[in-house]
Amino acid sequence: MIGVGVPVAALVHSQVPSAFSGVAEGLTLVVLLSEFAMLRAPLSRSQIRLYSFQSLAVTALAAYVAAARGIPDLYALAVLSLGLKVIVVPLVIVRLLRDARVELVASNRLSVATMTLLAIGLAVFAVFVLGSLPVHSHSLPAAAFNLSAAVILVAFLLVIVRSDVISQAVGFFSLENGVSVTSLVVAAGLPLVVEVAFLFDLLVAVVVFGVLMRVHHGRTDTLSTDVLDRLKG
Amino acid sequence: MVAGAELSQPVIQVGQDLTILVFAPGVSGAIAQVEARFQGRRGPRVLQPYYDLAKLFRKETLVPEDASWVFLAGPVVAFMCYLVVPLLIPELTTYSLPLGYMGDILGGGFILALAGFSVALAAAETDAPYAQLGSSRAMTFAALIEPSILFVTFSVALITTTDLPYAEAAAARSSFAAAIRPAHLLAALAFFLVVLNDTGRIPVETHSSTLEFGMIDEARTLEHSGPALALLKWGSNMKQLILYVLLINVFAAPWGLAGSRQPGAIGLAVVVFLGKALAVGLVFTLIDNSFSKLRLFKITEFMAAAFLLAVLAVLVLFLGGGA
Amino acid sequence: MSWDLVVLLIGPAAVAVACWFVPLRAARALTVAAGAVSFALSVLLVPAGAPTTALSGWLRVDSLSVVFLVAVTFLYALTAIFAVGYVHPDGDTAARARYSRRFFAGLNVFCWSMAVACLVNGLALLWVAVEVTTVVSALLVAIDDTDGATEAAWKYVLIASMGLGIGLLATIVMYYAGAQVFGDAYELFYPKLLASAAHFPPAVVRLSFVLAVLGFGTKMGLVPVHTWLPDAHSEAPTPVSALLSGSLLAVSFYAILRFFQIAVRAVGPTFPRDVLLAFGLASLGLAALYLASQRDLKRLFAYSSVEHMGILAIGMSFSAPIAVVGVLLHVLAHAAAKGTAFFGAGSVVRKLGTKDITRIRGGIGALPWSGPMLVLAVLGLCAMPPGGMFRSELLIVSGGLADPADAVVAVLVVLVTVASLGLSFFGTQTMLGPTPDTVVKGETSWMVVTAMLLGLGGLTLLGVHPPGALSHLLERAAAELGAPR
Repeated sequence: MIGVGVPVAALVHSQVPSAFSGVAEGLTLVVLLSEFAMLRAPLSRSQIRLYSFQSLAVTALAAYVAAARGIPDLYALAVLSLGLKVIVVPLVIVRLLRDARVELVASNRLSVATMTLLAIGLAVFAVFVLGSLPVHSHSLPAAAFNLSAAVILVAFLLVIVRSDVISQAVGFFSLENGVSVTSLVVAAGLPLVVEVAFLFDLLVAVVVFGVLMRVHHGRTDTLSTDVLDRLKG
Repeated sequence: MVAGAELSQPVIQVGQDLTILVFAPGVSGAIAQVEARFQGRRGPRVLQPYYDLAKLFRKETLVPEDASWVFLAGPVVAFMCYLVVPLLIPELTTYSLPLGYMGDILGGGFILALAGFSVALAAAETDAPYAQLGSSRAMTFAALIEPSILFVTFSVALITTTDLPYAEAAAARSSFAAAIRPAHLLAALAFFLVVLNDTGRIPVETHSSTLEFGMIDEARTLEHSGPALALLKWGSNMKQLILYVLLINVFAAPWGLAGSRQPGAIGLAVVVFLGKALAVGLVFTLIDNSFSKLRLFKITEFMAAAFLLAVLAVLVLFLGGGA
Repeated sequence: MSWDLVVLLIGPAAVAVACWFVPLRAARALTVAAGAVSFALSVLLVPAGAPTTALSGWLRVDSLSVVFLVAVTFLYALTAIFAVGYVHPDGDTAARARYSRRFFAGLNVFCWSMAVACLVNGLALLWVAVEVTTVVSALLVAIDDTDGATEAAWKYVLIASMGLGIGLLATIVMYYAGAQVFGDAYELFYPKLLASAAHFPPAVVRLSFVLAVLGFGTKMGLVPVHTWLPDAHSEAPTPVSALLSGSLLAVSFYAILRFFQIAVRAVGPTFPRDVLLAFGLASLGLAALYLASQRDLKRLFAYSSVEHMGILAIGMSFSAPIAVVGVLLHVLAHAAAKGTAFFGAGSVVRKLGTKDITRIRGGIGALPWSGPMLVLAVLGLCAMPPGGMFRSELLIVSGGLADPADAVVAVLVVLVTVASLGLSFFGTQTMLGPTPDTVVKGETSWMVVTAMLLGLGGLTLLGVHPPGALSHLLERAAAELGAPR
């Protein structure tokens, strides 16, 4: 028994993170949680919506970092990313798939609980591997850096365990979101030209992914990638 | 600080117990009433649970053939457990009461688990298939939700370096940054899901259903009658309120507790606490009415979600952001 | 002399746009002209001792970039010539004309993006250019619109993009490393990074380098992230296969070398070399096994690419500067030899109507010019003299022998021998034997022959007597790659 008279506050040892890291980590967690949600989302439309939501969280993070660290360039980036990733990219995918008329993808190779446990394992791995690196600085929300690595690994899992073209494409786009979070956290000063080039590149990639998805659907009449098993050896 | 007009600590402690004991059926009644309104019904009176209990206590107890003494002891043991737990948790006061350090979060968890176990054991005493089904399901899902509870406990331990509910509440109260820190929010959210599961709410269970196949917790009491059933119902109301206490006063909103021992402050704390409990009940009702129940085999997904949140809480704490 | 960089930046892109509007014959001619001019401009850059910059520093070529620029534009010119003879030379129907238009536009954009990757100054723009090469080439892989092409294109674009996602992460981590020296906002220009790399935090640079090898290595075809490569190489139209193998893999290797350059200065040479050695040995070993049991002619050459990428990576792991010279020469020789080999394979496959090695016989009889030249190219790929690969592999091996404690070189020689056995056996047996009677003998187009002749000529030149300016260029580039004394 610890004794009645001990003031409880004296028991509180753990350091509270600053409000900046708190919010940055919170937004990164939202990104990570939406990645987990994509892992189980059964409908292609819900997956695209989740991607849009995730991009919104990334945009919010960009705006927040811009405000908190006084980097006006990032506002421009936030606006661009809002326009491109939250609105244009999902719209493009939805439009490309309008004539596909395949709603329920249900392409899980594993059960949801198994997938989630695997993903948790990957996230823990990412977090601890990066946590062992001396990437520290006063202005850096360290947890956000490690969590963005977790987002990237879970995106890989998404591409691996889901066998339909939508999930795989969304997996790649969300991988890019994870990298965006990393760049916002550790490289907020990246020149705007470069960031814009990245975004433009993503847009091109989206179009190409979309074209290939259409070609695939046109040839095989399905969104599943299970039929892609001819080439081996 | 005004001297003289202070309650002694044991009195407050008994007050905590009494608050749970007395108000638990009322809170359940109020929630049922709100729920009925949501569904466009008039619903039972708020005080209906008390009438039900009174009626059940007047009835005779029927014991199935072949059932041993465990069948009747189960409800009593569970009820006793629910009376012990309020001694351990920050219900009305910010400071801990004499027996408050008798058990930590794990201790409280063990006692709650013992209660669940004795009810399940009593149900297993009968030959009735639904009761058996209920007890086996309840134990299965209790085991599945256990990792989440553990990780919530870990995150509390990492935040406070203790596993005392009082310390966690104090940590969350200490500053705004502490209250919104991601680890705390994640742990709170994970615990919210745990409570959702433990109080038998949608998406895990339809608590007002009469369909035995979907039942988990409810099915366990099917064979009981009379005072034993009254104890079970009362106990389950108390369990719900205890879990609300943990959710509110440890994680979600540990404000409005009495800082002193004056009767006025304690009384105010009781009122505030009941208000918060009703608010939480309202949230649960909203969820109840906006989601559908998961298929039994999909419940593991729900458990996985709770586990994910709890693990993330611990992860975030392990990185520079926390400890 | 910075105008030629600008011409290189604009020329192919302009031609690509023009391909949509001018008559098809003009589009073909323009493509060949763009390839030849680009190659000529790159060759003009060879003697320059100092780095050339343009557009206020955003374009910059030093000796290292020139090596890869020459490799890319050489194959650009060859492929343009070959494609004119190979892709619907009698483009009569509307569908065929549309296909040709798309093809030539895509070809120019593809080569443009690879040239740009060598021209731009800075890791970030380099990544952007490499990602553009991915998406453009994925469309080119899919252009034939067969089941196989669709499957290969999807696998390629997905795996390569995921890999490049890791490459982007590497770039950002490197940016973070630089930010410890330069402060928060700066441009990722090479000279700046190289000058201060010694002060970067080593652990961060190590992370960045491993991520870069993994990410860009995916596009380079390093085992175990090579899985897209055989599919894309075998299913793409032949000119695209040649470009993928000869240029694209080289450009990805170039990206890795840029990270290597920084890493060597920041953390010393041992760690980057060990990483490359591990990937190189895996690539070489696996490719040697696959080469010994391959039935598809184009996949055979694809695995040969994996093999040669492995040789490049292993060569970089040797400490002697002569090995690095050998690696850079190997890049050029590989472009020439593999391009020619794919050209020949494409002609043979089209002539005999199958890619199955066990069923192709009598290639020499059917194709009096490209048949023998394919045999020569295959022998060149097996590093037979007088091809350029003989010289480059000799340099690499002697570089490896310079460090007597290194047993790796023995493994290298054994694996290369095994791989060459498989490649030469399967590659040449298709050419021998009686030609089936059903096959019409004769070449399809003299353009095809010209492209192969030029490729073999380049390969032989590299092997017999590399021009002095080129040798100096390779030495300067090797010096740029090495750790400063």
